[in-house]
Amino acid sequence: MARSTAAPGAWEAPAYWRSLEQRADDPRVRDHYEREFLEGASEAPEGLSRREVLQLTAASVSLASLAACRRPVEHIVPFVQAPELMVPGIPRHYATTLPFRHEALGLLVESHEGRPTKVEGNELHPSTLGSSSLWMQASILDLYDPDRSRALLAAGEPSTWEAFTAAWGDIAAGLVQSGGQGLAILAESFSSPTLARLQRDAQERFPQARWATWEPISEANAEAGASRAAGVALVPDPHYERARVILAVDSDFLGTEAGVVLATRRYAASRAVDDASPSSSGMSRLYVAEGIHSLTGANADHRIRVRSSRIGAFVAALAAELARQGLGVSAPASASPVEGVSAEQLRVLAADLLAHRGESLIVAGRRQPPVVHAAVLELNAALGNVGRTIEYRIPRHRQESGETLAELVEAMGAGRVETLVILGANPVYSAPGDLAFAEALSGVANVLHLGGHVDETAAASKWHVPRAHPLETWADASAADGTLSIVQPLIAPLWDGKSEIELLNLVAGGEDRSGYDLVRQTWSGLLGSEPGSESFESRWLQTLHDGVAEGTAEPAAEAPVSSGALQELASSPAPGGGEGLEIVFAASPALFDGRFANNAWLQELPHPITKMTWDNAALLSPATARTLGVENEEIVTVSVEGREIELPVWIVPGQADETVVVELGYGRTGAGRVGDGVGANASVIRTSRSLDYAQGATVRSTGRRHLVAQTQDHHGMEGRPLVRAAALDHFRDHPHFAAEMVHTLPPSTLWSEWTYEEGSHPPPGVRERVAVDVPVYQWGMAIDLNACTGCNACVIACQSENNIPAVGRDQVRRGREMHWIRLDRYFSGSEDEPETVFQPVPCMHCENAPCEQVCPVAATVHDAEGINAMVYNRCIGTRYCSNNCPYKVRRFNYYHFTKHTPEVVALANNPDVTVRSRGVMEKCTYCTQRINAAKIAAKREDRPVADGEVRTACQQACPAQAISFGNILDEGSVVATHKRSPRNYGMLDEVVYTRPRTTYLAKLRNPSAELAPPAAPGADPAHGATGGDESDAAAGGAEGHG
Amino acid sequence: MAQTFPRWTLKIPLFLALSLPLFAAAAVGGVWYYFSPEYTDVGYRPKQPVPYSHALHAGQLRIDCRYCHASVEQSAVAVVPPTKVCMNCHHVVLKESPLLEPIRFSLASGRPMQWVRVHDLPEYVFFDHSAHVTAGVGCRSCHGPVQEMVVVQQTEPLSMGWCLDCHRDPGPSLRPLEAVTDMEWVPLEGHAEFARQAIEERGIAPPTDCTGCHR
Repeated sequence: MARSTAAPGAWEAPAYWRSLEQRADDPRVRDHYEREFLEGASEAPEGLSRREVLQLTAASVSLASLAACRRPVEHIVPFVQAPELMVPGIPRHYATTLPFRHEALGLLVESHEGRPTKVEGNELHPSTLGSSSLWMQASILDLYDPDRSRALLAAGEPSTWEAFTAAWGDIAAGLVQSGGQGLAILAESFSSPTLARLQRDAQERFPQARWATWEPISEANAEAGASRAAGVALVPDPHYERARVILAVDSDFLGTEAGVVLATRRYAASRAVDDASPSSSGMSRLYVAEGIHSLTGANADHRIRVRSSRIGAFVAALAAELARQGLGVSAPASASPVEGVSAEQLRVLAADLLAHRGESLIVAGRRQPPVVHAAVLELNAALGNVGRTIEYRIPRHRQESGETLAELVEAMGAGRVETLVILGANPVYSAPGDLAFAEALSGVANVLHLGGHVDETAAASKWHVPRAHPLETWADASAADGTLSIVQPLIAPLWDGKSEIELLNLVAGGEDRSGYDLVRQTWSGLLGSEPGSESFESRWLQTLHDGVAEGTAEPAAEAPVSSGALQELASSPAPGGGEGLEIVFAASPALFDGRFANNAWLQELPHPITKMTWDNAALLSPATARTLGVENEEIVTVSVEGREIELPVWIVPGQADETVVVELGYGRTGAGRVGDGVGANASVIRTSRSLDYAQGATVRSTGRRHLVAQTQDHHGMEGRPLVRAAALDHFRDHPHFAAEMVHTLPPSTLWSEWTYEEGSHPPPGVRERVAVDVPVYQWGMAIDLNACTGCNACVIACQSENNIPAVGRDQVRRGREMHWIRLDRYFSGSEDEPETVFQPVPCMHCENAPCEQVCPVAATVHDAEGINAMVYNRCIGTRYCSNNCPYKVRRFNYYHFTKHTPEVVALANNPDVTVRSRGVMEKCTYCTQRINAAKIAAKREDRPVADGEVRTACQQACPAQAISFGNILDEGSVVATHKRSPRNYGMLDEVVYTRPRTTYLAKLRNPSAELAPPAAPGADPAHGATGGDESDAAAGGAEGHG
Repeated sequence: MAQTFPRWTLKIPLFLALSLPLFAAAAVGGVWYYFSPEYTDVGYRPKQPVPYSHALHAGQLRIDCRYCHASVEQSAVAVVPPTKVCMNCHHVVLKESPLLEPIRFSLASGRPMQWVRVHDLPEYVFFDHSAHVTAGVGCRSCHGPVQEMVVVQQTEPLSMGWCLDCHRDPGPSLRPLEAVTDMEWVPLEGHAEFARQAIEERGIAPPTDCTGCHR
C-alpha cells in the first residue's frame, strides 16, 4: 500500500465498508444508505388495519379531550424531617466502589433526593481515574431492575430472614460439631478485605469445609502463569503508556480483559501525537496476534490472525526469532512455523521489540494457558520491560486458594457435600456442560443461594436470599495496585437484599450483623485503630468522602523469573488438529458472562465488531463460512463432545479460519423479562478441561433461519470520506491530510453565516437599551478518532444521562434504535484481514443545520450558543428533519417506548431531562441540561463558566479521553486547541457545507514501514458507499507482499 | 307557480356574510382566551390539607419567605418546608389546634404531608428559582401578592408568552437584591434608570432560546 512512501497527491483514502453485503454492493442493504428510514420503518404494527388505527385514534382523541377538561392535581410531598445537607433540586455526589469480580471500580454516583441516577468514574480512584466502562454506566439500570429478587425464598415459597437465620442456626449447630464436614462454600472471585477476613473465619470455624471459586470468565490463567514463572502469586499491571511497541497475544485488553478502563486510558496516552509539531510526533505501535476479532485487534496497527490454540506456538516462534536476533532468552534455536504467520512478520516484530528494549510490552490474554503467560513474562524480562512497561503486584485480599468448580462437583457427585452455600454465583447457568452441575446439585440436601435474581441456580436451591446491589450495601474492595476503598450504599436495599458479607458472616460467625459493622471491624484492623476513636473516625470519613484510602497503594513487587516456560512451550506438541473446527468461548462485550443479561441497555448495545444486538451467534470467518456452505442468519447446530446448541451464523471479517467463536452470557432462562430466551447458552458446550477454547467442534446447518437484529448498515451515509485515517509517516509529511482528502469548490451557502458574537448576549430588545458585558459561549465538540477505541462506554453513558429508551429486538431490526450517539464501524481492505476504524457519531450541531430548514413547526432551531435545539413540545412528528439530516443522527419515537416501563425502572431517569413521548423526534443535545446547570451555577457566583466545567456524558465516560467539549471561542480551551489541530475535519462539511460544531481529529495508524498491511489476493476493491470519490484505486493496495 | 322558498330566505346570504365573520372572530377569540392559561390556570386555588394562610404568616407576622422556602436561593426548587419546620413554632403556638392535626400526625407518624401544587409548569419546562432570585426578580413577580392570600392561588398565567415578556424586557421586574422577598416593595421613581444599572451590573441576559428552559 502506498501509504508511507507515496508522493503528495498519490496517497488516497482506503475504501471503507461497513458490512460484507455493502462490500459486495448487495441490493438488500443499499436501502440502508439511500433512505433515512428503512423500508417499513414507518408502517403501523402488524395486526392493525388502517380502519382499526382510525378507530383507535378517534377513541383516544375523544378521551384525550375529556381528560383535558380537568387539570391534573399534582402533589408536593416534602420531608417530615429533612436530612442534613440535602437540598432538594441539587444532586449530591457520593464516592463508592463497584466490586466487579476481583476488580474494584471507583465510582462517583449522582443522587437526586436520595435516588441514585447516574454513575461516573471517581477521579481519585486509580482503577478508573474519572472514566468509566459501559458496565459501570449500566450498573445503575441493574439497581432498578424490576425482575430483581424481592423476597427470601424457602423451597420456592416466600419466607423471612428471621425464619432463615433460625433454620440456618440448626444446620450450623450440626456443622460446628463435625468441623464443617459436608459443608461447601462456592464463591465468586473478590478482592475485599472483609470477605477475605470472613473466609478465614469460616475456615477456622469449619476446618473440614470446602471452599470453591467459580468465575465463568476468570483471570486464573494469567495469575497462575505469573506465579509459575516467579514462584509467588503475582498479578500483571501493564503500563501501556510507557510502551512504544505493544504486542497483545490473544488479549482483548481494550475490551473484555480485567481493568479495561485503566488499560484504555494508558493505551490512549501511548497513542497521543503532538499536533503542534507533527514532524516530531511519535506514538506506540500495536501488534495483535489473535484468532477472534476483538476490539483490541480492531485497534491494531498490525493484526496477525493466529488461532487461539496456536498462540503458544506463535510465542515460541517469536522467542526463537528474538534469540536468533540476539536476545538472551533460553529459547530453542528454531521453532516450527505457525500457520498464518510469515517469517517476515516474525522478523519485523522481533526486530521492533528488540529495538525498543525497556519500552516494549507483551501481554497475553486470559484464554491462554498459564505456560503462555509464564513465557510472556520471561520474554518481557529478557526485553528489560519488567519494572518499566509492566509491573507485577502481589494480589491482596483475594480468596485463599480453593477448589475449582470441577473438584467441587466431583465431591458433590460422591455425596461428600450436604450443605452448599453459593455466594452470588450462578453455576446452574454458567457451569461447563460436561460437569452436569444441576444434576450434581440435586444430590445436595441443603442448598443456600445468594443471588440478585431468582435465577437458574435459585430455582434449584432450597433457600434463596435476595442479594443487595453494590449501590445498596456496605462492603470494601482493593484495586489492582492495592488501593483500598469502601463500598458505601447510596440507597437502602430496595427489596431487603443482603450482601455476601452479611451472609458469609452468618455462615462463618453464626450471628446476624450488619454490613456496616462488619466492614468497620475489618477496617479497624487495616487502619490500626478502634472504631469510635478519633483517628479511626477521621480516616474512615475521609476514605468515604474520597472513595479511596489514601496511601494504601502498594509498590510493585519484585518478579524473579525462572526460565523454563519458553522451552516447554516450544516442545509442547501442537494441539491435535483432528476433525472439526476450533471453538473459542469469548466474553460478550456487552453482557460479559451473563450477569448483565437482564439489562436492556446492554442487550441493545451494538456489538463493537459485529454490530449485533439482542443475540449471540456462531461467528465464522468468511472463508470458513464458504467452506461450510453457510451464510449469515442461517441457524446451525454447534456441537462439542456430543453436546450441542443452536445459533445463527454471523460472518466476521478478520476472524481466524477454521474457528467458530461463541460468546458467553446469552441463553439465560432465569434472568428476567429482558434477558430470558435471548441467544443460546454457550456454557452448555464448554468443557471444564478446556474452558476457553477446544478442538473438534462441528457446525451443521439446520436449514432454518433466524433474523438477527444488527445495526451495521443502519444510518449509513452516502459515499464521501466520512472517516479519515492515515499512517503516522504520512501525517508527519502531510499534517493536513484530512482536509486535503476532499477537493471542492469554495463553499457557498444559501443561508447567512453564523455570527459568533451573538453568543449569550441579551435578546435584541435588551441589547438596544443596555450594554451588558456577559460571557459569550459557543459550544463545540471535537472527537479524536486516534484516541477512540470503540469501547461503547459513551453510548451507555448517553443512554443513562438522557433517559433514552431501549426498544427491543424487533424495533432494532426496523432501524428504530434510539441511541443518540452511535459508533460507526468501518472495515477497509480484504475481508480476511481488514483494518477497522471506529467513529462515534452524535448530532453534529451544524451551524447551517439542514434539519432546521425543513421543520414546518420550528421544533428544531438554533440557540444563540450554537446548539441545534430540539423542542419536543413543538414537534408534530413529520420526520422531515430526519430525512434532511446527512448524518442520520435524529431518532424518532415510533412508540411511547416508556409507557409500560415499570415504575421502579423510571427511578433510573435523570430528572433534568424530559422523558419523550410517542411521535416526537429527539437527538443529542450536547447535554444541554449540564450546560444550563453550569451556567446557572456560574451566574450565581458571578463568574464565567470555566473550561472543563461542562462535560457531556459521553466525554465524561470516555476512558480514552477522545472527546473534548467546551467553548470554542475560548482560545485556551481544550476543545479549541483540538480544533486547531491539523487533523481536524468536519464530516461532510466540504460537500454539504453544514459547518458542523462537532468535528473529528483524523485517525492515525503506525504500521511498520517494513511490513505492508496484508491484502487478500484478488480481493476486489469495495465500491462502498463510504469509500470516497477517488477511492476505488486505493483500496487494499495489493503491492507485492504476502 | 308558487315560490318554493319564502321571500325572507333571500336575506340568508346577507345574514351569513355579516354573521360568519363575527362568528369566526368569536370562535378564534374564544379559543384564544378560554383555552389559554390566562383563563384556565389563573385563579387556581385548590384546597390544601391544612388551611395554611399566607396572609397570616407572611402578611401579618411578616415571616420572611425564605424561612420556609429555604432553598430558593441555591436550588431550582424553592421547597415546601418539611413538617418539622411547621412544628418549630407550632409545638408552642396553637399546639392544640384541631386544624393542625394533620401536621402533628405527620410528625408523629413520619408520613409526609401531601400539599397540592398550585404553580405547576409542564414537565418539559425546567424553571430555576435560584437563577431568578439571585438576579433580583421578586417573588411577587410570579406568585402575586401572596401576603394577602388566605388560600394561595395562581395570579399569573405562567404561560410561555408571559415568561418571554419578562425575558425580553427584564427591567420592570428587577428589584434591589435585598428586596426580593419584600412583599410590600414598590418600584421607586426612576425605576427605569435603576433597572438599566441593575442589568449592567448584574450582567442580566435572560435566555430567549428554547434551550434556556426546555431540555
